[in-house]
Amino acid sequence: MTAFDPLQLFASLVGSAAWPALRLILHLAFFLAACVILWRAWTQLRPVDAPPSGGIAPLLALLTVFLAVLLYQASWQLTGLFRPQFVAFMQSHDRREFNPAHRIARGRILDRRGRVLALSREVDGQVYRVYPFGAAFAHTVGYSDPRFGAIGAEAAGNAQLNGATPRTLASWGELGRQLLTKDQRPRGQDLTLTLDSELQLLALQRLGDRAGAAVLMRTRDGALLALATNPAFDPNHLAPDLFRSPAPGTPLLNRATQGLYPPGSAFKVVMAAAAIEAGFTGTLNCPAQGYTTSRQYPPIRDHEFYSARTAGRAWSGAGALDLPTAFAQSSNVFFAQLGVRYGHEAFARTGERFQFDRQVRFYPGTDRYGSLSTGRLPRLAATDRYGLAQASIGQGRVLASPLHLATIAAAVANRGLAMRPRLLAQDPPASLGQYMSASTAARLAGMMRKVVTEGTGRGINGADLAIAGKTGTAENPSGAAHSWFIGFAPAADPTLAVAVLVEHGGFGASVAAPIARDLLVKALELGVGP
Amino acid sequence: MSAPLNGSRAGFAASWERRHGERELLLSCIGCMALGFVLILGADAADGRHLAATDLLPLVLYALCLVAVHLTLVLTGFRGDQVLTATVAGLAGFGLLAQVRMGGFQGDSGALTPWLVPAGLCVMTAGALIFANGRYRVLARGLWLWAALSLLLVVALLVTGQRFRGAVYALGFTTPTEALKITVVLGLATYLERHGQALARWHAGLPPWRALWPLLAFWAVLTGLLALQRDLGMVMILGVALLAVLVSATGRIGYLVYGLLAAVGLGSLLLMFFAHGQRRIDTWLDPFQDPTGEGWQILQGLSGMYAGGLWGEGFGIGSPEYTPIAAADFIYSVIGEELGFLGCVVVVLFFLVLFQRGIALAGQARSPFGRLLAGGLTAVLAVQTLLNIGGVTKSIPLTGTTLPFISHGGASLLTAFGAIALLLAISDGEPGRADKPPRATRSRATVGVPSPGQPRKVRRKVVPPAPNLPGD
Repeated sequence: MTAFDPLQLFASLVGSAAWPALRLILHLAFFLAACVILWRAWTQLRPVDAPPSGGIAPLLALLTVFLAVLLYQASWQLTGLFRPQFVAFMQSHDRREFNPAHRIARGRILDRRGRVLALSREVDGQVYRVYPFGAAFAHTVGYSDPRFGAIGAEAAGNAQLNGATPRTLASWGELGRQLLTKDQRPRGQDLTLTLDSELQLLALQRLGDRAGAAVLMRTRDGALLALATNPAFDPNHLAPDLFRSPAPGTPLLNRATQGLYPPGSAFKVVMAAAAIEAGFTGTLNCPAQGYTTSRQYPPIRDHEFYSARTAGRAWSGAGALDLPTAFAQSSNVFFAQLGVRYGHEAFARTGERFQFDRQVRFYPGTDRYGSLSTGRLPRLAATDRYGLAQASIGQGRVLASPLHLATIAAAVANRGLAMRPRLLAQDPPASLGQYMSASTAARLAGMMRKVVTEGTGRGINGADLAIAGKTGTAENPSGAAHSWFIGFAPAADPTLAVAVLVEHGGFGASVAAPIARDLLVKALELGVGP
Repeated sequence: MSAPLNGSRAGFAASWERRHGERELLLSCIGCMALGFVLILGADAADGRHLAATDLLPLVLYALCLVAVHLTLVLTGFRGDQVLTATVAGLAGFGLLAQVRMGGFQGDSGALTPWLVPAGLCVMTAGALIFANGRYRVLARGLWLWAALSLLLVVALLVTGQRFRGAVYALGFTTPTEALKITVVLGLATYLERHGQALARWHAGLPPWRALWPLLAFWAVLTGLLALQRDLGMVMILGVALLAVLVSATGRIGYLVYGLLAAVGLGSLLLMFFAHGQRRIDTWLDPFQDPTGEGWQILQGLSGMYAGGLWGEGFGIGSPEYTPIAAADFIYSVIGEELGFLGCVVVVLFFLVLFQRGIALAGQARSPFGRLLAGGLTAVLAVQTLLNIGGVTKSIPLTGTTLPFISHGGASLLTAFGAIALLLAISDGEPGRADKPPRATRSRATVGVPSPGQPRKVRRKVVPPAPNLPGD
């Protein structure tokens, strides 16, 4: 053994507690030495460079170009936080553990009352995202996960949550401090949603184990107070299995925004609007034997016929119905005739006006949870009158999503003007389109009120709240009928619109309507804001 | 060859005194790189790797080489530029540190690596001394040689090379076409020294075709061959050098205008025919379109730089191994990761000092050939640096060029040192003019170039070097 081994000494020095500080000093000394060399080289060369013929222009050009490159480099290296895609890339693909992108304490996501829906928690130097409400906000708050990426509000507000949208001088100062001190824990800004956690939880509780969706939105600005869908998944415990196969119950699907269901009688709101716009005033005969376009096809009948038959009674038919009565009683025979009477073209125009067959974004970005699939109207052959009759009562090949029907109900309450649904409180209200004229909307609103006072929705008529709406019981090939209710309240001066769907729930009046009522009552009790 | 070797103590003392600035700078370089080296070794030791005495080999070699370079230049009474050697030594030191850090000295292909920078420094010194004292003008006689050699290099590579990662490599993954950067510039400088005046006579806004067509023909063939190898980086480097030399020789900005127009036309034409180039443009514009495929390398490089931040992780602490081929084209991002943005600024400043030096030396060269050669070589180095750094930082599309002196890669490293050798040789000045300052304004305080107060008698013996052809 040698008495003195400098390498051994060095290794023990590295192992000692002083090394981190020493390393820092060496690091700075290295920079200092490099700067001294540069300075000396520069001062030595200055006397010579006096007038190199034509030398100043190329040098200036070089200086400019390299300065530009360095500035551009700084926009990645120093302020890369301002590039959401870049941060997302680093979070999911960069394996450097010391990369600050992994330790960004993302801002919290809050509901409209400031309740925390998502927060970052650091455990052993790793930052985890925690979702206190678990599955309740899985499809709205979404998730941000190093393995599975980001979706929902987590994706939409990525830049802000990462701290890349400093608005105040203080947050700019904070960014500068992080840069200078090489802080490994950058802090992001909070993001507020329009949702109300109490209403969301109530909606989910009322849905219970049943698959379905419930939407509650403000009529005047489209703010979503509840956007509930069941079943869901727990964003705190994401596993690859969730994404791999079509899991039972499709928990990844946001039924409220992307679930397409036959709307059944709820679609009569659309047909009634079209009829009022077309100036329909008379009556249509609605006999007990129903209506069909050809003997080949089974007649379309009213629900009274079936309930009478079940009870063993005879039913004499509804007789001549005018539009409001037919609407309140939800007469299939009436609306099937109405649709066929106006024809295929008018039906297609109505669908166009109500913006079916579209994807509407309700927050900026590209992730699928921010996209509303409005619905689907069939492209019927001009000879297919029976298809048209079916479509006119919301059956056959007509499909709609709960959120779109809520938007339609809100439009009726908002003088025909449909507002774009909003999830992020910071997004300004925007209109989607004028679904009907203001006078049509007023008449239709009265008809919808009549549904609750004397029609199919009598069950939810109470003294505490005047609700207007439309029930729906949509037959479907996969089992019992889907239960629908869409509507708004208070009827005289509507501020809230609602849509509830319970898959295979049965009658709209008995299953979906009470849920809708509970949501509206609770919301007005809590106060819904502007 | 020179005074000190002939036993003149006074000559040695004068030379020793004259090059004290270089000595100081080189010693600072050694000190600076030693600091960096200690940091890397510390990081290695902290990782639990056992340190051996051989780990010090690269630093020792580097230090010895710088000492040897300096002593040789002093002993031979070399009058050439001193800042240039020091700047190159600094850049080479950065390169050495980065390569040590990337583990370039371990593993299968590492046997030669620690010798590359020393070999480059030897090439530089030898070249500078061989062509010093105006002897570089011999090179101006080989117009056909340079043209033929350039084309031969490309053709040989095309015939014998193998394709790899979209480019063509010769045996053992060397790229002999790197030498084009010197041979083509030599050819250009030669041609323009002879025909510069003719080329300056424009008629009605058009260049003189009679004098221009041989150059254009050569260029068309060269560019075509390079395009076949998909070496667009080289086409750009040589193209800019051509324009720089043309403008500098004729004083006609028009060449720049037409050149840029031709570049745009040629560029779009090439992009139409080469999917490879189009893909690179797409990746450049939006690397996030295919982040785990085409955009992976550039995004990993940028991620590393972002992780480095302002100060850097510290030498040896980063994880540049996550960036593919980091040691070669992406060495700049490694520096960004470990030394931070400030480290990058330092490297860029080193390069800028180097280019400033090259431009100034071109301005001081006495012969048109020397001026054009120095200008052309500086342009080559500057464009190569810009293409690399710009590509790595996503400022421009990736062209697959190396960073001079720093990137891993034998041919490119030796070529860069070769270019510096010629610059140094040109800076040595002309024979017989040693006691006359090249410029009347030269001050005595100058360290960079020979001081007028120290005439060198022996130089006069070699007065007419021009006829001294090797064959004579």
